[in-house]
Amino acid sequence: MTRVVRPVFFVLVALSFLLAACGGTPATPVTVVETQVVEKVVTATPDASMPELPAGSVQINGAGATFPLPVYTEWTYAYSYVDPAVVINYQGIGSGGGKKAIVDGTVDFAGSDSLLKDEEYTSGKDLQMYPMLAGAVVVIYNFTPAKEYPADFKAPKLILDRQTLVDIYNAKVTKWNDPAIVALNPDLADYLPAETITAVHRSDGSGTTEIFTKALTAFSADWTAGGASSIEWPVDKAGNGVGGKGNAGVAASVINTPNSLGYVELSYAVSNNLAFADLINKAGQKVTANADSVASAMNDFSGAFSDKLTATIVDGEGAGSYPIVGYTYIILHTTSMTDCVKAEKLLQFLQWALTDPSATSRAGALGYSVLPDAVREQVFAKFGEVTCNGAPVLK
Amino acid sequence: MWVVENGIEMTKQISIPPERHWFSRLQRITRHGDSPWQAIIIVMAVLVMVLMLAIGWMLWRESADARAAFGWGFLTPSLDTSWDPVNDKFEAWPFIYGTLLTALTAIVLAIPISLGVAIFMSELCPDWLRMPLNWLVELLAAIPSVVYGLWGIFVFLPLVVTPVGGALFETLGKVPMLNVLFTGPIPPSGASRLGAAFILTIMIIPTITAVTRDVLLSIPSSQREAALALGATQWETIWQVLLPYGLSGILGAVILGLGRALGETMAVTMVIGNSIEGSPSLLRPGYTMASVIANEFAEAVTKLHTQALIEIGLVLFFMTLLLNMVARLLVWRVARRTPQEARA
Repeated sequence: MTRVVRPVFFVLVALSFLLAACGGTPATPVTVVETQVVEKVVTATPDASMPELPAGSVQINGAGATFPLPVYTEWTYAYSYVDPAVVINYQGIGSGGGKKAIVDGTVDFAGSDSLLKDEEYTSGKDLQMYPMLAGAVVVIYNFTPAKEYPADFKAPKLILDRQTLVDIYNAKVTKWNDPAIVALNPDLADYLPAETITAVHRSDGSGTTEIFTKALTAFSADWTAGGASSIEWPVDKAGNGVGGKGNAGVAASVINTPNSLGYVELSYAVSNNLAFADLINKAGQKVTANADSVASAMNDFSGAFSDKLTATIVDGEGAGSYPIVGYTYIILHTTSMTDCVKAEKLLQFLQWALTDPSATSRAGALGYSVLPDAVREQVFAKFGEVTCNGAPVLK
Repeated sequence: MWVVENGIEMTKQISIPPERHWFSRLQRITRHGDSPWQAIIIVMAVLVMVLMLAIGWMLWRESADARAAFGWGFLTPSLDTSWDPVNDKFEAWPFIYGTLLTALTAIVLAIPISLGVAIFMSELCPDWLRMPLNWLVELLAAIPSVVYGLWGIFVFLPLVVTPVGGALFETLGKVPMLNVLFTGPIPPSGASRLGAAFILTIMIIPTITAVTRDVLLSIPSSQREAALALGATQWETIWQVLLPYGLSGILGAVILGLGRALGETMAVTMVIGNSIEGSPSLLRPGYTMASVIANEFAEAVTKLHTQALIEIGLVLFFMTLLLNMVARLLVWRVARRTPQEARA
């Protein structure tokens, strides 16, 4: 048998090499950024007083949350054209892993969607969090209409209010034609089926879940399961809940399960053209999740930062604020960095990411919201407090 | 050098200068490579044991706080358990149950199918079909589990698991005693323990088949010829001679399959529904030990949460060890018993 297998195997290997060689040529999608970036080297031009460093000589390592990973990946790639001396690696290992790594000092910066605990501040001593981006979480849904839509009828978007969303995930509202849902969607009243709602949630621990459950906690005192990256879902206990792995798993479950709803990141829903529900916010206004409504939520809470620069920004008061929003953070050591060149390069990169038009527009295109000016000023002020061997890193 | 004048005086005359002495000894040791070879092999063998102990010790040490906090209650079977990272309250039973139920169901389903395929391939298959079939079975084993998971979500669950689950609910769900395992309804998406068990079945079939086929092929033809010469039909030869003869090898194949089913993570996570609802039914969504670790470890932020997950790893580790030992014992007993029975 081997006499036949071996030649065939070699042919296959040779073929795969050929294929790989052909596949190597097409440009990666990121090249678009490259051209934009090269024109705009304005904000973070390396300090003229500093000697020119050889390309790739400063290695900066980061790890943590996967939620902002797509943006960080594009930023670090684009930044290699802004400052060739700097190579930044960011590994999406999860917020928990990122926080552990920065406390242990095995990375230069960490990304995290959840906040550090007091004990981590104690053991990490000089840790500081900085909001980098905000993301919204949206409710996607899939119900089979109780009767066929007329030919000229364009089904409007589903509308939910805060209490109804809590009730659905508490398994108190269990049917699509529940009076609470019907009252919010008069145009859909005839079409909402008398079927059980399957509520889909993330099965993996995730910042998305943390934002969503924190919002539910803020929406109503009825939500007692708490807000965290993974929780015990009341709807699971009632037998109407299903967990999907990752945004893709939740979306697939919702698409494949008739009469279900679930939550995913706005960026994921946008890039996959998923229909998502509008929400009635605290001010009683109907809002769609988009860059404006997320920015409005950030502005609502721009004065609410703790001295660690953290804030929960769910359920904002503003008329245009989308209620399920959260920050993703970068964590740095503020006084114990010893490699001053690296510290300076890292802060320059972060400043560039927050200000450079191509960086911010890229984040926007991926469905994330960049910080409004009021918040960004506070972040920059905190950057100014970072010291290396006792001297401020940014002059 | 020295001359032997008569045989008796020989030993007396041997005298080698000391510097030459150690060198020739080294030469003698290394000449055939036996000793170094033996040393290397021993190091390799010890390495496996050290690895095993290191993993076990790490799991034990890193789960110390969780073990202290929850004690045996962590493992207690119960329909109303909680896994609540917000309030740091953890009980592992739903995961243990999910792992055992899906793996055992998969094994039960996979054994007859794999045996059938293996017997066909080794005994009945026309020559022109043997090679392609062989390749296909091996290809099935080479598919990454995440691909199984994707295929499961989009094709297998809605097309196969949902209808089959619905039919089981209508039939076996009505039978007293059995209905505990078949209370439904199955979720419309098909995400359920049954879906996970089916996917696992497909994943372990190639493992069991390939090993069983090799076992059957290695049985000397004299056995077949003897049975046939005694007037046995082909069916009797296979059933009464070949299978008993190869039983210990086949059991080994089943153990391999069980090992894979217990530890499989990705595909199961994608199709099982990941819910800890209290129902013991096959038709409802469930959770497995490997899945919960994969799902929650990266974002486990409290110390107790991380430790509880590591303790689940520890339980899985011991469970696999235990099952392997039991299976080993089984193989050993069967192997001792077979010759007489095969002859009988």
